[in-house]
Amino acid sequence: MFITDIRKEFYEVVANQRVALLVASDIDALCACKIIQALFHCDQVQYTLIPVTAWQDLGTAFLEHKEQFKYFVLINCGANVDLLEMLQPDDDSVFFICDTHRPVDVVNVYNDSQIKLLIKQDDDLGVPSYDDIFRDEEDEEGADSGNESEDGSEPSGKRRRFDEGAIERRIDRQRAKREWETRRREILFDYEQYEYHGTSAAVMFFELAWVLTKDTKDMLWWAIIGLTDQWVHDKITHMKYVTDIATMQRHVSRHNHRNEDEENSLSIDCMRISFEYDLRLTLYQHWSLYESICNSCYTTCHFKLWTLNGQKKLQEFLADMGLPLKQVRQKFNSMDMTIKENLRDVIEESSNKYGMKDIRIQTFGVHFGFKNRFLAVDMVHATAALLESTEKDESNSDNFIKALDSLSRSNLDRLHSGIDLAKKKLMAIQQTVASCICTNLILSQGPFLYCYLMEGTPDVKLFSRPMALTLLCKYLLKAFVSSTRNKRCKLLPLIMAAPKDLEKGTVIVLGIPPESETSDKKNFFGRAFEKAAESTSSRTLHDNFDTSIIELKTEDRSKFLDALITLLS
Amino acid sequence: MDASEVEFLAEKETVKIIPNFSLDKIYLIGGDLGPFNPGLPVDVPVWLALNLKQRQKCRIVPPAWMDVDKLEEMRDLERKEDTFTPVPSPYYMELTKLLLNFASDNIPKADEIRTLVKDIWDTRIAKLRLSADSFISQLEAHAKLDNLTLMEINTIRAFLLDSLNCLYKLRSNQHPGSSKGQFADF
Repeated sequence: MFITDIRKEFYEVVANQRVALLVASDIDALCACKIIQALFHCDQVQYTLIPVTAWQDLGTAFLEHKEQFKYFVLINCGANVDLLEMLQPDDDSVFFICDTHRPVDVVNVYNDSQIKLLIKQDDDLGVPSYDDIFRDEEDEEGADSGNESEDGSEPSGKRRRFDEGAIERRIDRQRAKREWETRRREILFDYEQYEYHGTSAAVMFFELAWVLTKDTKDMLWWAIIGLTDQWVHDKITHMKYVTDIATMQRHVSRHNHRNEDEENSLSIDCMRISFEYDLRLTLYQHWSLYESICNSCYTTCHFKLWTLNGQKKLQEFLADMGLPLKQVRQKFNSMDMTIKENLRDVIEESSNKYGMKDIRIQTFGVHFGFKNRFLAVDMVHATAALLESTEKDESNSDNFIKALDSLSRSNLDRLHSGIDLAKKKLMAIQQTVASCICTNLILSQGPFLYCYLMEGTPDVKLFSRPMALTLLCKYLLKAFVSSTRNKRCKLLPLIMAAPKDLEKGTVIVLGIPPESETSDKKNFFGRAFEKAAESTSSRTLHDNFDTSIIELKTEDRSKFLDALITLLS
Repeated sequence: MDASEVEFLAEKETVKIIPNFSLDKIYLIGGDLGPFNPGLPVDVPVWLALNLKQRQKCRIVPPAWMDVDKLEEMRDLERKEDTFTPVPSPYYMELTKLLLNFASDNIPKADEIRTLVKDIWDTRIAKLRLSADSFISQLEAHAKLDNLTLMEINTIRAFLLDSLNCLYKLRSNQHPGSSKGQFADF
């Protein structure tokens, strides 16, 4: 069931108990986890933090901890599956789920006792009504047998007539039941067909903190990072992003107004969050401007930087702005002050001439101490790189803890190492995109585009992780759309496969919806993958919380693809 | 004695806070802490004030001496005089560090205060060094220094005692047989 008063029904319930926090492995979940940890520290609530990466992980973690805990808080996992059936908990376990995955499973919505959803009900959910899906079977059969036992005491002549009446009624009831069941199947199919994402979990927990009047600037910053993560990894539509940014902007101005006085100015070490209408060049303040332009999806796709022509256009662009090459290739912090002052406006003007109308995006930046300035997008990339780092001897929970630490203000060197890893990751993505486009690795299979990364591709280990592969997939599709002339191919979705585990011989397969300006980001590949796997009995593992990402045995790849083609055409 | 021990002792000083929760009087070994009512100032030891501040349960009111004008006067006075002037609080250095680290958003002009306190500290330590130097070079037996705080004493204690012990050893080796007991430990 949905929670209406988050303070009374969630926080005050868990404040005196020991709680288990099960947190999924994405940045939004990490930010939400930081916020709820800060709240728990304030009120000295005992909790155990358990990072989970997939459904199996969730199951094992639950089995380990179900003896000790009655209250479980699940962040960014658990809403889109029948949780009670999967975990088989005891009757007194209560689950608080704050998940952005939609559609929410109907059992989770209509369970009143054990499942509490920390999700806003006006969040565009479209849950089917109770009567359309659930029906009490026992009442009707009871009525039927009740009639029969009454009829049994009547004399035989009348009984025959009553029996016929009873048989007709039963036939009618069965027909109605069959109709109701077909309609139920249709409704459920429509409801569960597309997978998409709702409001960020970090924003939900920030609103909880706000209701408790315990919100600080740190929590506001984490909420902003969670929201930006949804935008960077293409989980929400642009409209929703802009609306949520406006909400966050109200909180930011409230905090700035509260703390900034004319004469008693705040210490330079205090955190200051500001609204920025900044450039869409990833990590440009921590890199050189040239590198950032070459490795950002938006600029690369518009200039087509994998072609010689594209490189020339880039040089023209830089010349048009009057930026000397030597300055542009230098670290951003060491660039000339005169150039840095009007940089954003100069770039916006020139990019309008070159057809890049949206070079600027609304976002937030933070600034504390004399030299620490970060944009929300930078933090998302840094933390994502740390979370999915493929260094040897690092387990998933190590990476999780490192990424979680990098979000605190006191761990700046962790954050800087994350930024370095993010730079490597972005460069790897751009090189892979360039080589895929130049060698025509993207094939049109009819209803979708398909690309397979061979084992020998450089940096292919990075792409065995879901978030990195999602970024690569998104950039590849954008690049393909900008480079192809085939009008039909521009509207196709993309499926990408990359080797995941060489010992087990599996690949990770991922599907994203087609690229368009007004895309609603609804992904139908979850159900499609399931059906295709069933029909060909391929050995697949639908383990990830996002149903559009699966693991598949390398040998079953071709028959799986064929099944998908027939299914989707 | 370690600097952290001095800081621990400094945390016993009282400071005014404005809580946002209510609690009856609590009876601790060190004394009673008055009833807490939201919005009403109450005096508590610094350790409790910092804990409550980190849990966002109070707002810290800076002590009266932690003000830019007063500290500027003190700094100028300190620079003029040759001897040590009275300090704003026996633990001024530690309190400044603790309060400005954890509660800088409650203290106006925190950066300037930090600079001023550091200036006062530097002047006093320079005077202390000069005085220790003249004590040793003029072979004096007694010295009286007023208005020193525990942190300043602690800074120079180890060095001064060790160097005096070394000097004693050197002197007693120079004049074998005669023991000069004037360099006593304190």
